Amino acid sequence: MENENSAIYQEVQALLGDLPQHRTQLLPLLWRVAEHQGRISRQAMEAIAVVLNVPVADVFGVASFYTLFEDVGENVPVYICTDVMCALAGAEQLKETAEHSAVNRPVAVKESACLGQCDHAPAAWIKGKVFKRATAEEIEAAIKEVRHE
Amino acid sequence: MSEVRRLLPRPDIQSSATSVERLTERGFDHALSRISTMTSEDIIEEVSASGIKGRGGAAFPTGLKWSSVYKALGSEKYVVMNADESELGTFKDRVLLEQDPLGPLVGLLIAAHCVGARKAFCYIRGEYGEVEQNLADALEMLRMTGWVGPHSVEVEIRRGAGAYIAGEETALFNSIEGKRPEPRVKPPFPTQKGLWGSPTLIQNVETLANIAILFAHDVKWFKEYGTQDTAGTKLVALSGHIRRPGVYEVPFGTALTDILQKADLGGSITSGRSLGAVLLGGAAGTFLGPKEVENASLDYPSLNKAGASIGSGAMMVFDDTVDLSWVLTRMARFFAEESCGQCVPCRIGTRRILEIAESGNLRTRSQDLRELGQAMRDASICGLGQTAPVALLSVLDRPELMHD
Ligand SMILES: Cc1cc2nc3c(=O)[nH]c(=O)nc-3n(C[C@H](O)[C@H](O)[C@H](O)COP(=O)(O)O)c2cc1C
Ligand code: SF4
Ligand code: FES
Repeated sequence: MENENSAIYQEVQALLGDLPQHRTQLLPLLWRVAEHQGRISRQAMEAIAVVLNVPVADVFGVASFYTLFEDVGENVPVYICTDVMCALAGAEQLKETAEHSAVNRPVAVKESACLGQCDHAPAAWIKGKVFKRATAEEIEAAIKEVRHE
Repeated sequence: MSEVRRLLPRPDIQSSATSVERLTERGFDHALSRISTMTSEDIIEEVSASGIKGRGGAAFPTGLKWSSVYKALGSEKYVVMNADESELGTFKDRVLLEQDPLGPLVGLLIAAHCVGARKAFCYIRGEYGEVEQNLADALEMLRMTGWVGPHSVEVEIRRGAGAYIAGEETALFNSIEGKRPEPRVKPPFPTQKGLWGSPTLIQNVETLANIAILFAHDVKWFKEYGTQDTAGTKLVALSGHIRRPGVYEVPFGTALTDILQKADLGGSITSGRSLGAVLLGGAAGTFLGPKEVENASLDYPSLNKAGASIGSGAMMVFDDTVDLSWVLTRMARFFAEESCGQCVPCRIGTRRILEIAESGNLRTRSQDLRELGQAMRDASICGLGQTAPVALLSVLDRPELMHD
């Protein structure tokens, strides 16, 4: 269990910033941690629980519900939409290229449900950026650019 | 009928989407001044007279909903804009928020003023980062002009994080409250017990944009387009095998064929092929064959005859080479993955459908699927489980759409 002296606790407390110290801020705080650290680790969840005074099980229950908070360890998730409209536009092939480019890189290629970009299919989503009518070259370049902060 | 631009600004509009000039140019400042001198009863009467129905899928009469929240007892009330938009083939709220974020926001402010809410939320899906920024800029401008703030109504943007079910209204409340976004049992309805147990008005982005243009003009203007049954215009999202995929605004009553074929709308099926089927209304929508498409128009009574509804306004177009059992299998996987698992008929039902689809037995097991579908419709807690079998059943009812 993380306590109030640990580094991660200090960091999470700082990330809370101007937000009220209250359970209703759980989702916004999870986002801040995810964006700052690139992932939400087990330790971060424990720290969030202390900071917001919410049971750890609840923090875990909430965080694990959302696809975008999935913990892919040290990797950066690359979401390729393989839902119906993107599949019609060649998403499977795009995913295969992405998987190929991801070998030996800190990247986890994930299939995503509809990204709300079907008019620009196939679509992908990498670190907050939407790729419309994504080409294999574009995705490959984006994967090669992934570095750890 | 061709494209009309009312919810969406005309393409030649010069002002920036989040500027004060835009607020004036679109008549939204006039709308806000107009409602600030109106009583809640008068506002509700105007909304009811316009005939606006919810654009998020269920088409519930908006005036009626405002009236229940207004009359509900409670010292705190909330209003919410639902911009979670995660339904397959649906992207009209994104386009609306890209082109004219002030419309939905002004609609939200009018709603808050009418029902007596001091706090409003915009819940937007996590994958819409750039759109969220546009919304935040628009909000900042409204704060500067005083329409948003501690003396009027506070508006907070909440970002989802990838969960289709969070778009269901009560799941969305749980998400905002910091709980797992699992739907609640209804009743009580949100109008009585929503966010933190208080009366809450939740509306889709497009519904709120309709409110803004209604009050920027009047009921007579609003009803210049549309049908006897449904006044106004609807955003349709075209995708798939169509020349010009995108979002178009058309009057209710527009022939579906026009939407697919007209040069300024869909512009016809791609690569000279012919139409196989249209999935109308999203993942929980209905598949229509070419003949039905030819005979139907975009209105509730017309579509009702074909057993379909407008849903979110998604029109997914498949040419005659597409194997619909493949489409249904992909959709079955979506529902099985997105079911929150809270209730048995949905958790097990969506899995069973997926297994049957993956084993390639959709046609031979049609009777089992119908019974399963009925059980899910009758016994699921929320709309996901209740409507997950709808698209599948619509194909079983039209065996001619399935080819080998
Ligand atoms: C599984 C599920 C997902 C939903 N997702 C959305 C959504 O993303 N956006 C939306 O406006 N309504 C969505 N709805 C409908 C909402 O529950 C609610 O009816 C709607 O926001 C009401 O607004 P309206 O009356 O303006 O349509 C969803 C419903 C279900 C069952
Ligand atoms: S119907 Fe499905 S999604 Fe809805 S509450 Fe039940 S299990 Fe969850
Ligand atoms: S199916 Fe890929 S964005 Fe909609």
